[in-house]
Amino acid sequence: MSHGSTKLNKNDISSEIDLHVNEVTVAYNNGHVALFDTTFDLGAGTICALVGVNGSGKSTLFKTIMGFLTPTRGSVTIGGKPVQVAQKQNMVAYIPQAEDVDWAFPVSVMDVVLMGRYGYMNFLRIPRATDLEIAIESLRRVNMLDYKERQIGELSGGQKKRVFLARALAQRGRIVLLDEPFSGVDVQTEAAIIELLRELRADEHLILVSTHDLGLVPSFCDQVVIINRTVLAAGPTHDTFTQENLARAFGGTLRDLRIDHTDAPDGTSNEFRVLSDDEEPLIFGHDGRLVDHWHPGIDEEESK
Amino acid sequence: MIELLLTPLHYEYMIKAIVVSGVIGGVCGLLSCFVTLKGWSLMGDALSHAIVPGVAVAYLVGLPFALGAFASGLLAAVVMGVVKSKTRIREDAVIGIVFTTFFAAGVLMISLFPSNISLKTIVLGNILGIADSDIIQMLAISAVALLVLVLKWKDLLLFAFDPNQAQSIGLNTTRLNLMLLILLAATAVAALQAVGAVLVIAMLVTPGATAYQLTDRFGRMMLLACGMGIVTSMLGAYISYFLNGSTGGCIVCLQTLVFLMAFFFAPKYGIVAARRKARRTTDALLISGDAHPVPALRGL
Repeated sequence: MSHGSTKLNKNDISSEIDLHVNEVTVAYNNGHVALFDTTFDLGAGTICALVGVNGSGKSTLFKTIMGFLTPTRGSVTIGGKPVQVAQKQNMVAYIPQAEDVDWAFPVSVMDVVLMGRYGYMNFLRIPRATDLEIAIESLRRVNMLDYKERQIGELSGGQKKRVFLARALAQRGRIVLLDEPFSGVDVQTEAAIIELLRELRADEHLILVSTHDLGLVPSFCDQVVIINRTVLAAGPTHDTFTQENLARAFGGTLRDLRIDHTDAPDGTSNEFRVLSDDEEPLIFGHDGRLVDHWHPGIDEEESK
Repeated sequence: MIELLLTPLHYEYMIKAIVVSGVIGGVCGLLSCFVTLKGWSLMGDALSHAIVPGVAVAYLVGLPFALGAFASGLLAAVVMGVVKSKTRIREDAVIGIVFTTFFAAGVLMISLFPSNISLKTIVLGNILGIADSDIIQMLAISAVALLVLVLKWKDLLLFAFDPNQAQSIGLNTTRLNLMLLILLAATAVAALQAVGAVLVIAMLVTPGATAYQLTDRFGRMMLLACGMGIVTSMLGAYISYFLNGSTGGCIVCLQTLVFLMAFFFAPKYGIVAARRKARRTTDALLISGDAHPVPALRGL
């Protein structure tokens, strides 16, 4: 058995891939405190959503977990080890936002996936047979094997996303960080990504997803961390992802629709609310034409 | 005729010039791939000008020119970093201010204290009249740069493509950034005497840009750029004998010629290919009659 697979099995056996973010404060050189006294713990076999308004410190938190930023106070540990040690053992895989990638770069799908194996290769980064096998298997798993020779810019938005998922799979990272995975992705790919994340969860990975798609969160995340420069709420989705917590985190920035069918035929109370960070919705009447004014039963207000 | 073509090779200085140009052209070609993809061409231009005062001082006090050049290049990079972090001036303006200041200081020094290096040599290069001690310095720099590139190109590639991933697998991106910067300064120093401070940047951009037109694979891009650097530099030095003109000018014009060919005739990204492809798609749609390019309007 080669060196790389030994390493890999060792990681598989150790179930201690929990993430501890302990009283982390991050201040930038200009004095801006992006995160203050942030504490939460996550264990293996979890999909956790990280939500908050722009500027709430989501990306600062991501960068701190990945070791790009060093906390001014507090610490981040992965499986009990400092981030830098965990990284060297390929425990942290990262899937970038589509805007952060230069899609015209002269690399093929296979090149990108093999980059996930760099940490296992020798210092010349020459792939061994194991690395190639794992890269191919990872591409097969995201259904992208047929495209392995394509230049990455020649793919659709969803395919691009899947290539980077394959890279994370090839890296065998126990913790997978996804930055806005659903932006610019069609519904079909969205479902495919969620399906794959569920498989990874079943496989005892810890997945942390930073997302704006609040509506999707309950459908696949079992944990939620809501932040606004510190943790406002953290815990199981059912208890944490509540109207009250979201209103505190997003106060004023979300569209809050109250829809009240008091005229429902059976007379039962049927009120529900829609929280949305989307643009103004288009509302159509029964006749398929635009409704100029809000329906009397729908009352829009900016939540405070 | 053949006798005429071989005349340059009868002179030792010509053979030296051709070989040294080829070596430097090759190394610059390799590095140019990173410069083009990382968007560092302004930085490269800045460094190649910023090394001039270092060269002037080195010649004045009798140090190896590479040492002075290198020190002044790195000093310029540090000054740029400091100015940028202390003001709200944009990066390109900071680079512009700093490198012109360095270059002006160099030009002034050389004009005030004439030594055995002329302003013309530094600005325009003089590979034909180069001293053996300088050749040794240039070859040593090239050898080290080549070694680093051959050993570390994959790490540098990952750093250029996705620095976050590089960091997340535990690579030291600060060190990789510095490595690339030092390589750039070092090759600029080596190329200075071949083509001159003004044209160094062409050697550090054009081969990479040309190869980028021709391929979608980074490995192939490096080979193409390196090969192009070697061939154009050797040929440029050779041709300059007959033209009795500037060697740097010859090399860079040849590189531009190759770039233009790639610009127009590259199999996939060339202007001609793109136009042909657009025409073919349109033709196919027109021939198949019913296939309106907008699906919803088909059969109308």
